[in-house]
Amino acid sequence: MANVKLNIDGNKVKVREGTTILEAAEANGIEIPTLCHIKEQSPTGACRICVVEVVGSRTLAGACHTPVSEGMIVYTKSPKVVEARKIIIELMLTAHAGVCVNDPNAENCLLHNLASDYEVGAPRFNVRFPRYYPAEDMNRYVHRDLSKCILCQRCVRACADIAGKNILSIAYRGFRSKVVTGFDEPLDKEECRNCGICIQYCPTGALSTPIKAQSKAESIVQ
Amino acid sequence: MSREVPSIPNSRTQLLPLLKHEFKKDGFISKEAMSAVAERTGLPLNEVYGVTTFYSYLPVSKKSKNVIRVCRCLPCALKGALGIIESIQKELDIAPGEATADGKFSFELINCIGACDQAPAIMINDQLFGNLTPDRITEILKSY
Repeated sequence: MANVKLNIDGNKVKVREGTTILEAAEANGIEIPTLCHIKEQSPTGACRICVVEVVGSRTLAGACHTPVSEGMIVYTKSPKVVEARKIIIELMLTAHAGVCVNDPNAENCLLHNLASDYEVGAPRFNVRFPRYYPAEDMNRYVHRDLSKCILCQRCVRACADIAGKNILSIAYRGFRSKVVTGFDEPLDKEECRNCGICIQYCPTGALSTPIKAQSKAESIVQ
Repeated sequence: MSREVPSIPNSRTQLLPLLKHEFKKDGFISKEAMSAVAERTGLPLNEVYGVTTFYSYLPVSKKSKNVIRVCRCLPCALKGALGIIESIQKELDIAPGEATADGKFSFELINCIGACDQAPAIMINDQLFGNLTPDRITEILKSY
């Protein structure tokens, strides 16, 4: 396959045709934050945290799903990009119920860490109704706290494409969207047993191993 | 749901036609109906439920005989949808999201129904009413 030359943050970069901006940046040691992306799986582009500035493009482009092209000039940390990421983080925090100040596992939450990296404080937006769901601990293998879910769909894809079980889906619409099992029932299913693959893919504290002592940080798959 | 819907097992493309068929039959989509659709298409239940709940025209619980849907998007709002909503509220004595005690009408606010050229517009069941004024509501509701 042909090679493509492009410029990322002032570095001349040569990658194979068809790779994404994210892959090209990673291969050359340039870090772009991601939340919804799963390596080697088809991208969803749901969380928008990976947006970068492409010279000549009207809007910012999602790095995880935009393929490189010859002569492209990309900025991954320009003021425009940082500003957009800050607002994206703020909006995701707004959709959370409550604050993570008193959450002992917050340090394992990628969103929480991104918020401190980008110096995003408490969100300034008010919501009409909080997205609050009671935490579920009836399943011995997965502890679910959907109030912390950012709807990145990594668990849905991990369950379907990696575990091959397909018991998670997104239901409802807009702000009411939610990851459900069956007819929006508690995750207490015969099919969901001793797998825990979704936990490793959850970027926040929405899915966790019931044993609280385990550190999740090392096991999160990028 | 045997004859009217072509039988293509294990087909995701059949999901919406099957759900629409179930809706036409019962006026809503029951859990039994969703289970049957899931079995027929070979899709997991959660996915059938997810698709069903995405569409406001595929209700999962029993609706009243007549469903009044008022557009709450910007063009209708600018052309006086608020007055229409108030008028319906006064006429039926129910708020959006509620149903009358006799089960004749339920009333909901929905997103754009694609009739911006006739704003403010409402739908009662499948019928569209456009270019409305608050006074016309009484007469329209009487015809049901």
